[in-house]
Amino acid sequence: MPTKQTFAEVFQSRGLSRRDFLKFCSLTSVSLGLAPSLVPKVVHAMETKPRTPVIWLHGLECTCCTESFIRSSHPIVGDMVMNMISLDYDDTLSAAAGHQLEEVRKKIMKEYNGQYILAVEGNVPTKDDGVYCMVGGDSFLNVLKETAAGAAAVIAWGACASFGCVQNADPNPTGAQPIDKIIKDKPIVKVPGCPPIAEVMTGVITHVHTFGKLPELDRMGRPKAFYSTRIHDKCYRRAFYDAGMFVRGFDEESTRKGWCLYKMGCKGPTTYNSCSKIQWNEGTSFPIGSGHPCIGCSEPGFWDKGPFYTRLADVSFLGTDTTADKIGMVAVGAAAAGAAAHAAVTAVKKKQHDKEQEQ
Amino acid sequence: MGRLIEEIYVWRLPVRLYHWINAFSIVALVVTGLYIASPVINPPLGEAVWQHNFVMWRYVHYCVAFVFTGNFLYRMYYALLSDDRYAKFGGFRPWSPAWWGKPFREQVESYLFLRQDEPNYVGHNPVAALAHFIFIFCGSTFMILTGMAMYAENRPGSFMDAAFGWVLPLFGSSYNLHYAHHIAAWIFPFYVIVHLYAVFRHDIVDRTSVTSSIITGYKHKVEDEAAA
Ligand code: HEM
Ligand code: HEM
Ligand code: SF4
Ligand code: SF4
Repeated sequence: MPTKQTFAEVFQSRGLSRRDFLKFCSLTSVSLGLAPSLVPKVVHAMETKPRTPVIWLHGLECTCCTESFIRSSHPIVGDMVMNMISLDYDDTLSAAAGHQLEEVRKKIMKEYNGQYILAVEGNVPTKDDGVYCMVGGDSFLNVLKETAAGAAAVIAWGACASFGCVQNADPNPTGAQPIDKIIKDKPIVKVPGCPPIAEVMTGVITHVHTFGKLPELDRMGRPKAFYSTRIHDKCYRRAFYDAGMFVRGFDEESTRKGWCLYKMGCKGPTTYNSCSKIQWNEGTSFPIGSGHPCIGCSEPGFWDKGPFYTRLADVSFLGTDTTADKIGMVAVGAAAAGAAAHAAVTAVKKKQHDKEQEQ
Repeated sequence: MGRLIEEIYVWRLPVRLYHWINAFSIVALVVTGLYIASPVINPPLGEAVWQHNFVMWRYVHYCVAFVFTGNFLYRMYYALLSDDRYAKFGGFRPWSPAWWGKPFREQVESYLFLRQDEPNYVGHNPVAALAHFIFIFCGSTFMILTGMAMYAENRPGSFMDAAFGWVLPLFGSSYNLHYAHHIAAWIFPFYVIVHLYAVFRHDIVDRTSVTSSIITGYKHKVEDEAAA
């Protein structure tokens, strides 16, 4: 398949109408938060610019990002995007395999040196020279470094590549590290979530393609368009939160009524993502919509902040699992006991002192 | 009871005002803060849209938080720019080894019952000054920075976000920020217990009317009966 195809040509070759194509462009622009006046620019870029070459690497991961990606809300988008990826290099989705595929990667790296986008799914075990993740006969650590060298920019897909995720959970036996700990000299966009929402993923790729650079990032290196507000800020149960109407147990009437899940451990108030806005599976629902508290899957460290069903994590303190409030109460209790003991000694000493004076 | 031999005006009005505004705000902040963390009151009846039960607790927490912050800045201003020698913490020099020397040691020894007499200070004693520095100065600064950063989360792109948004990445995540604010809240009940005990004890042992001094401003020296 020719590599210099434009997105519009991919659409055509799939037998999709121009109407579908325009629909995709405007939808994506909206989700990126672009002004309507910029839609023609997106359309233009999609029609005329040669497809941005993408190399998609898989490290230590579960492939949920890919699973999410190929389920973009509109089948045309999934189809288009999948085509785009399999044209280049994706060791999970490509038809080719083995040496043949590795050749393709080498070829793209040479032909498009300094131009291709490196998309990374999963993270990098660094212990023992990276033997805990081997790809095509080499450690993923080496493959990643090698491929990143000629990349224009790096996209870190999902919680793994962005922040570490479960592979990186304490005590992290393989020394798994997120991408930005390995690659320091390239612009990186983090697209966290376990997995990220499909529309967010296609949105990021479209932005890079249209404008030739990464979207505007927030302080944590995530695209502002999708990660500037919390689940809680746009949650449809927010009225129940403000009213103080909380679910207190999953077997209660309040669960059926759809009250706020704050007391069930909902991490919505500390989680930056678009679930409550874009939702999942073609906008069908999202975890809170199905009655489950948000577990904060797009936040750094969520994997070590258990249990999911309490608001504050257990912390290990002197070898036991405890909570912040228990530590606090023990400290305050100790202060009170200490004061009482000190008072008692003071009284005894004073008695002694008075006695001595009398004698 | 010995004769009252001296009266010293120690805490001027700005310090006393600061003290009580601070004390009431801290109590209010601890109570509303812990309520925010675990709302226990039963849900109201009726439609959610008409109720503001939980949001009121947060609202009060924020209002008091701004009073608390203003009061704290005011006290810093007064310490730095007034000529009130008991308010300046001028003698507080923990970076100099001399400060940890005799007066500090004597005060610690006295608290540990290692000496008979009680050292007396008109202003803060060195141990009290250290406690105020750790719990009140560092503690308040920490609560204000983390609190304002969480407040800024409610409005990305706002002035507050520009002013305090940088605090969040220092903690690694929003959750860690909330957690740090929550666990640090416990230093205040701890401090208050120790503080109140120390004040009442000093009053009983030294009879310098230190308790009422924070209301009236005056400390008193009484003649030692034994010496009289
Ligand atoms: C939440 C409760 C309280 C907090 C956070 C608190 C905090 C403080 C602070 C920060 C100071 C230093 C004042 C300065 O120079 O700026 C202080 C001094 C003092 N406070 Fe409190 N206070 C509380 C409650 C009380 C109460 C209830 C009393 C007595 C009835 C009291 C009596 C005193 C006295 C006598 C001093 C001066 C003694 C010294 O610092 O050496 N405090 N307190
Ligand atoms: C003595 C000072 C303070 C104490 C003891 C205190 C205590 C607390 C506690 C215990 C929480 C609950 C944390 C949780 O979610 O588990 C909280 C939340 C919060 N506090 Fe404070 N706080 C203090 C000062 C401040 C200040 C100065 C601000 C500044 C605006 C502030 C703003 C907040 C905010 C925004 C929240 C989060 C509320 C939410 O999750 O909806 N606090 N505070
Ligand atoms: S369910 Fe979660 S995200 Fe929604 S309002 Fe309640 S706490 Fe916030
Ligand atoms: S609601 Fe929370 S846990 Fe669920 S997918 Fe979204 S960010 Fe992840």
